[in-house]
Amino acid sequence: MTSKVFLAIRVPADPVRTFDAFTGDIGAWWRPDPLFQITPHGDGALSFEPGPDGRLVTRLGNGETFEIGRILAWEPGRRLVFVWRQASFSPDQSTEVEVRFEPVGDETRVSIEHRAWDTIPQEHAARHGFPEHVTLQRAADWWRVSMGALRQRLG
Amino acid sequence: MSARDLDRTLAALADPHRRRVVDLLREKPYRAGDLAQATHLPFPTMSRHLKTLRQSGLVEEDRDALDSRVRIYRLKAEAMAELKTWLAETDAMWARQLASFKAHLQKSRK
Repeated sequence: MTSKVFLAIRVPADPVRTFDAFTGDIGAWWRPDPLFQITPHGDGALSFEPGPDGRLVTRLGNGETFEIGRILAWEPGRRLVFVWRQASFSPDQSTEVEVRFEPVGDETRVSIEHRAWDTIPQEHAARHGFPEHVTLQRAADWWRVSMGALRQRLG
Repeated sequence: MSARDLDRTLAALADPHRRRVVDLLREKPYRAGDLAQATHLPFPTMSRHLKTLRQSGLVEEDRDALDSRVRIYRLKAEAMAELKTWLAETDAMWARQLASFKAHLQKSRK
């Protein structure tokens, strides 16, 4: 049973370049969302401190740096895993984001899996869970609603 | 959705027994004793879990119409809605971010 969000998109670049742009340019392509803020002071300017011991941080307007999460896997051109904690999470709550980069012809399929609480491997985070029916409903809704909307938006 | 309410909900659901109780209450309201039996937990342990679930706003307590000594527990629909909201918002956020990332790559290729 899984409580997770999963999305995928195809982009016009090879996996190595896509990985580099995803990590290196996140400050340029990240778009703050008024409905989903990382901190109460907004999203700030995101950046990856690269490498397997790195982290994802954001520099806020007031000069403070907020750590969104540590990097758990750093495999250039292939895979990236990091902890995702919004400021509103309590200290023992955590989620995890896995980004995969797979070659499709001369393009790349980028997929995002945002795993919540009960689906995070135990060595990474405390156990927290969504009730199973929420998840089941999400899984069923996902292809229908989200990907449909995403496809429409991208044309 | 209040972030603190969601935190409390998630903390209450951190325990597998409490998640099981929530799953059971999804089907129908239960008496505390029946919940203890269904989960193979001692009654005092179940009482503690029910108290946590009540304080988190996930379940509510009623007295049995026929016997006021008996308490009936049921799921509060609003609490579940918050969790769904969080997942839906996360979904929508990444859809936006991926679309923006793709646009960024297309722009920088030119």
